[in-house]
Amino acid sequence: MEREMSEVDETQSHVRNPLSASAAGGNGNGGYLAEVEQAFVDRWHDNAYGCFSSGHKFCREVCPVTQVTRNENHTPTAFHSNVVALEKGLIEVEDVADDYVHCTQCGACELRCPNTIMVGDFYRARTETVKVVRAMRALMVDKGLDREGWKIWNRLTDKLKNEPVLGVEGDHPNGQEHVRDWANGLDIPTGGETIMFVDCEAAFYRTSIPRATAQLLQLAGVEFGLMREQWCCGGPAAEMGYVEQARAFAEHNVADWRAIGAKRIIAIEPHDYVHFTEDYPAYFGEEFDFEVVQIVDLVAELICDGRIELKHPIDRVATYHDPCRLNKRKGIHEAPREILRAIPGLTFKDVDHVTQWSYCSGGGGGLPIEKPEITAEISRRRLEKAGELEVDMLVSACVWSERPLRAAGAAQGIEVWDIIELVAESAGIEIGGSMQSGNAPVGSTQG
Amino acid sequence: MTLAPPTIDSGILEELRAIVGEEDAVLISKSSRLNRARVPAPFPVHRWEEFVPDAVVLPRTVQHVSEIVKLANRTKVPIVPRAGGTGLADGAVPLRGGIVVDVKRMDKIKEVDLANNTVTVGPGINMQTLNRQLVKHGVMFPDDPASYACSLIGGRIGTSGFSLLGSRYGHTRDLVISFEIVLPTGEVIEVGDGGGRKVRKSSTGYHLKHLFMGHQGTLGIVTEATLELVPRAEVEFAAFFLFEDFDTAYRTHRLLACSGLATLAGVMLFDSEKVAYLRRDDEAYIEQPDWVKAVAAASLYGTRAEVEPASKIVMELGRSLGGKYIGDEISSGDWSARHDRYANPLHGRARDGQVVPMSWHCEDAAVPYSELPAVRAKWHAIASRYVEQYEIFDDWGMFAYTNGAHKPWGDVLAEIDMGLWEERLDEAGWQAFISLKREIAQTVLDHGGSMTACHGATRAGDAELVPQEMGGGWDVMMAIKRLLDPNNVMNPGKQSLDRAYE
Repeated sequence: MEREMSEVDETQSHVRNPLSASAAGGNGNGGYLAEVEQAFVDRWHDNAYGCFSSGHKFCREVCPVTQVTRNENHTPTAFHSNVVALEKGLIEVEDVADDYVHCTQCGACELRCPNTIMVGDFYRARTETVKVVRAMRALMVDKGLDREGWKIWNRLTDKLKNEPVLGVEGDHPNGQEHVRDWANGLDIPTGGETIMFVDCEAAFYRTSIPRATAQLLQLAGVEFGLMREQWCCGGPAAEMGYVEQARAFAEHNVADWRAIGAKRIIAIEPHDYVHFTEDYPAYFGEEFDFEVVQIVDLVAELICDGRIELKHPIDRVATYHDPCRLNKRKGIHEAPREILRAIPGLTFKDVDHVTQWSYCSGGGGGLPIEKPEITAEISRRRLEKAGELEVDMLVSACVWSERPLRAAGAAQGIEVWDIIELVAESAGIEIGGSMQSGNAPVGSTQG
Repeated sequence: MTLAPPTIDSGILEELRAIVGEEDAVLISKSSRLNRARVPAPFPVHRWEEFVPDAVVLPRTVQHVSEIVKLANRTKVPIVPRAGGTGLADGAVPLRGGIVVDVKRMDKIKEVDLANNTVTVGPGINMQTLNRQLVKHGVMFPDDPASYACSLIGGRIGTSGFSLLGSRYGHTRDLVISFEIVLPTGEVIEVGDGGGRKVRKSSTGYHLKHLFMGHQGTLGIVTEATLELVPRAEVEFAAFFLFEDFDTAYRTHRLLACSGLATLAGVMLFDSEKVAYLRRDDEAYIEQPDWVKAVAAASLYGTRAEVEPASKIVMELGRSLGGKYIGDEISSGDWSARHDRYANPLHGRARDGQVVPMSWHCEDAAVPYSELPAVRAKWHAIASRYVEQYEIFDDWGMFAYTNGAHKPWGDVLAEIDMGLWEERLDEAGWQAFISLKREIAQTVLDHGGSMTACHGATRAGDAELVPQEMGGGWDVMMAIKRLLDPNNVMNPGKQSLDRAYE
């Protein structure tokens, strides 16, 4: 059976550790594992054992989920030791299925792991936890042990071709016939060399973000178009273990890009950026020759080049939330700070990106679908930290983080904005669209 | 290998659930149990299923803990406290099943008292997490083990931990002013030097804090601690010196330790085998000339007015016998990496030189300074015998660290690091490992030392030597254990304390 992670491996050239005892035949398990479990164990043994054998658990205190649950079952190190336990026949997948739901795939644990810090490069011994979680979730799907909420979410996504971000019940204006509603009145063409990819949360829920983005690009003279038929990027399905569905969505989107002559994809959202730069190349190999651009990098460049002029002061005191997939997963943390420092009037109280390894919104990895109370608490704590800085605004660059952060912010009197919305305001754009919160436009507070 | 279902009585589980009164606070799933058996030390993976608890409880209050302990005592079910599970000697590993009381949910900062320089916390909080909250007040809790980023206060008290800044600020026992502990029969008491939660020195009564400090979970469960706050150091300084031979480094260590500098936080020593190991197998090792066979290093913490002149003295002493300064970049970098650095070895060498994946085991001891060369020689002789005889060991060298709080002269914390090919562990290998540990520990006792400065003597190999090290005090220790824990429910099987009930 085709496994998600083995596909990823082919392009990442992850060389099996020649040092391992299992490679030397020292780890036979007597054949009690089924084929899928055996493939999982074979793939992840060395990685898991690197953690098991040191077991120092530096990951625990940076893990946003464990910070809330304080349950060792949810620590990244447990996700690795379970692989060893599975190999030894001490557990089965169903014993740990619920444990592996407790992860936002933020990647903090991988960065904080001493194995990554000290030996990662030399022996390719960087600890990989996100992939282990995804692979285990794929095993859960294989064995019919996937969680009920995820099942419904992905079934609806498969039907609508977009995520049911407006709710899984009732008849919402979701799906393909509404996927471009956000762009009403903006006169954006279909097709072209550069495509703006709008993720589902932005397309249906927080439409102010794609509107702000599109108008900024238009203002700066960046030519771009939309897809003919934009489906979900497939990333959330991949994160929840629905490997085949994720792949099918990727194939559709890439086929659409090819049909319209796209060469460059602007990802306005960090999750998409991860999927386009990691999963898509893994699916398609060298054939995947699209340039993928993250919006904060592009906007920072446009501001730097003087193509976007920020002339309207934003007289607010703000701090920045490093979205996990930009900061921890992709190392993008400078561009958003450059942008915020360029906004006139804004008092920017920064918290460095390494301290923010332990911060999260709780909005990723399917966690809010299955464990909304944990997501809410992670966001509450994030806003509490922002509150200590005596700011009246938290700026993020990830639409998926903004829904839970905004809910927590409402309770603490701190507004949550997307960085692109803020840039658009400062550039004098009438954004329009829905921010889904009732917040007054930033401009209304200008002195 | 299979994991037997929990043998604990379902009535006891019901009572536990009623006590904590929260969903998901009493855990009996396989992964809940298996993951509470693990500590960073090499583990008998071929016998993993023997060391798991029957149930795990996640309490939030002292009342929860007290009721849980009373239940265990009444029903005579073993009970083991667990904080971070980052100890190196199995203190938190349940040897007889039973209930693990995991205190990670007791992680609140209850009071920051800047008038008396104390902070009161639950046992489930981590030092780095705590200090991040204290930065804004200009103070810090300076307990700084290698596990700074992951160990928790409850475990620090349970093991009587060692701080890498101990010469300057003291170790855990000096930095915990008082604490609340649930006794093995469920009563809750507060212990300090005498009375007074925020009093550092008292002559009233017996000094009960010291009895319960380092109890290894055998005398109760800590539920709250009041900790020392020191002014945040304005500057830190670290200098590493390279030597052609161990002896010169050893003598330089002495000069630094006896410098009389009040800001001295610690003096370190790495022997020839350690340097050789780093050179052959450590990925983060920055290449040094071949003549380098030993290293001595010192660190300073304090105000700029103190540390700047002191650093000049450190530089003079470090070079006085021929030591070569390694340079600012590696000195400050290596010192900054002191927490991450201890966790890295993933491989060593089999007897034939083949690179193999290995776990790291460090055997710690407190050794009088004068005895260190002799102990070191014997340790390496023991290690090479085991390396020769078994396929699974590798000698990763020795290092030493000034041991006394505020008194860097005198005894040292010495550790010999051994690689262990854990995946090849079978019963013979495990028994060899225990026997190796016992020989290393016995050597220290023979030279007037203590077999552990900070990890604890809870593991087989050490545990059977506790009566010997305690000498005439052993009978008193057993009497105390019997008195406080009449049913031997608190972390049974550790430190040979079962003998108290024979």
